[in-house]
Amino acid sequence: MSKNLQIQLRAMAGMFRRDYKIFFRYPMNAIFRIVEPVAWLTPIYFMGKGFAINGENVGFAAYTGNGDYMAFIILGVILSSYVSAVLWGIGYSLKQQMDIGVLESNWLTPIPRITHLIGQTLFNVLITTLNSIGVALIIWLLFGFELNFEKILLAILTALPMIIAIYGFGFGFAALVMLMRDANTLVDTGNFIINLLSGANFPITVLPRFLLVVSLSIPLTYGYDAIRGMLLGTRTVLPIHQEQMILVVFMGAMVVLGVLVFKWLERRCKKLGTIGMH
Amino acid sequence: MSEYGLTISGPEQETVSEVTIENYSLSCMLRALWAVVKRELIIFIRYPTWVVAIFIWPVLFPLPYIFGGKALAGPNQVGMVTFSRLTGMSDYVGFVAIGSLLWMWMNMVLWSFGNHLRNEQVRGTLESNWLSPLPRIFLLAGAGISNCLIQSAVIFISLLEFYLFLGVKIQGNPLLILLVLLFIIPSIYGIGLLFASLVIWAKEVNTMVFLVRGIMMIFCGVSFPLTVMPEWMQVVSKWIPITYGIRAFRLAYLTKKGFEAIKGDLLILGIFGLIFFILGILAFALSERFVKRKGTLGVY
Repeated sequence: MSKNLQIQLRAMAGMFRRDYKIFFRYPMNAIFRIVEPVAWLTPIYFMGKGFAINGENVGFAAYTGNGDYMAFIILGVILSSYVSAVLWGIGYSLKQQMDIGVLESNWLTPIPRITHLIGQTLFNVLITTLNSIGVALIIWLLFGFELNFEKILLAILTALPMIIAIYGFGFGFAALVMLMRDANTLVDTGNFIINLLSGANFPITVLPRFLLVVSLSIPLTYGYDAIRGMLLGTRTVLPIHQEQMILVVFMGAMVVLGVLVFKWLERRCKKLGTIGMH
Repeated sequence: MSEYGLTISGPEQETVSEVTIENYSLSCMLRALWAVVKRELIIFIRYPTWVVAIFIWPVLFPLPYIFGGKALAGPNQVGMVTFSRLTGMSDYVGFVAIGSLLWMWMNMVLWSFGNHLRNEQVRGTLESNWLSPLPRIFLLAGAGISNCLIQSAVIFISLLEFYLFLGVKIQGNPLLILLVLLFIIPSIYGIGLLFASLVIWAKEVNTMVFLVRGIMMIFCGVSFPLTVMPEWMQVVSKWIPITYGIRAFRLAYLTKKGFEAIKGDLLILGIFGLIFFILGILAFALSERFVKRKGTLGVY
């Protein structure tokens, strides 16, 4: 391992430790992050009951080929929580450092800015993973489901390029936060629109035609679709192996694009001298 | 006595009388209050993303639930039979739009008004502002008034967008709708006041916002009929004012049932509003004493 890489990994570990300390410094926050998904899943569960006929979501099955509405949603929630973790980890963390007034001094350290961006998401991603395992465990205890480890492994392998692509997107997004200096609205809206159009919470076939076109042009859509197809046997838009190929291409393109956009906007912010402002 | 409260009684001796709020007239206080309102409005429009908050979020937020409902209803609307039976309404889009509007209102009050003191604490301006000779509650009231002005615009634009983009039409009397909104205000801002006071010493804004809005999402029937919940959950929902606000607003907006159908809800909303306002003021006074004693006003 080169010395440069070692230094960068040490810096990321430092950021991880910092976020870990901040996280556990506010114990209520830490506890609530673990139970947070329940607050989102419960209304969805009752919504399903509000449309069920003799306990079965017949209408939903007609759209997806599988009437298990809750399993469909849980997979969407777990995957979209990783998208959120990266976007919030990058965007919100930048704004927080701007507000507190430490962004400029942090960025004066001889560490590539991209390393900073990645470093500040690591703890968030770990918490999301623990959350996902917790949610899966609760659902398994409540409703029970078959654990097919081979399928789960394949699903994880399919999700990986999707998550890496989101990092790429996050780099470009961070640049936008630096320019607009309002992370909350940007992250919230960006995250929401991505999840909405990629079918995190419903089958995309219910979208009006003009939105369906947009949805099909977002590679994340194929990530959700492929993973649901693998684990739940739902009808997929394209054959699963084609959807996986789309995700790999998407990963490469997003990382390159994201880095380029971030570097360009970073230079612009330096010229404007706005890094230390909030 | 000079206007600054200084007493000069000789070249050798100089005493400075304590500057208290009694030295200040009501007009001074109202000027200060207006300054806070103005400052908050300027901060709000200083970030270009205010456009997103006012124009985009209202129509964006209900969409996952609307499309989710569409998926559950099925291509041949078979699921709508159950929904209509449980709610007495066949307009699921309107049902969700109204529920989500009130949820968003509460959410924005918590994040901005409820988070106002904590935001100042983080930026390091709370202590210096609180040193001004003005009742502290005025500083918070200013934030509340500015938030109420912004939210009024958001509600009006939301209802317009619901009509234009989602096809949700007013079925009831517009004056009755306005009356319901006026009755909801004390409850929402009372909760906001209570929230702002607790946040200043708890320092865990995110958690508390997630908790309050999560409870509202689960128990107040934002996106589903309350009758599908177990009995004990329905009992809990009866103790949350927003439940009555959502129900009254839906009845006033989406049906022609009139005042008779909502008068009970309005009465309960009024009582809740009063209780929460009193609780909020008490909590604020207690928090003020707590942070003074602990010396944690300027601590991040």
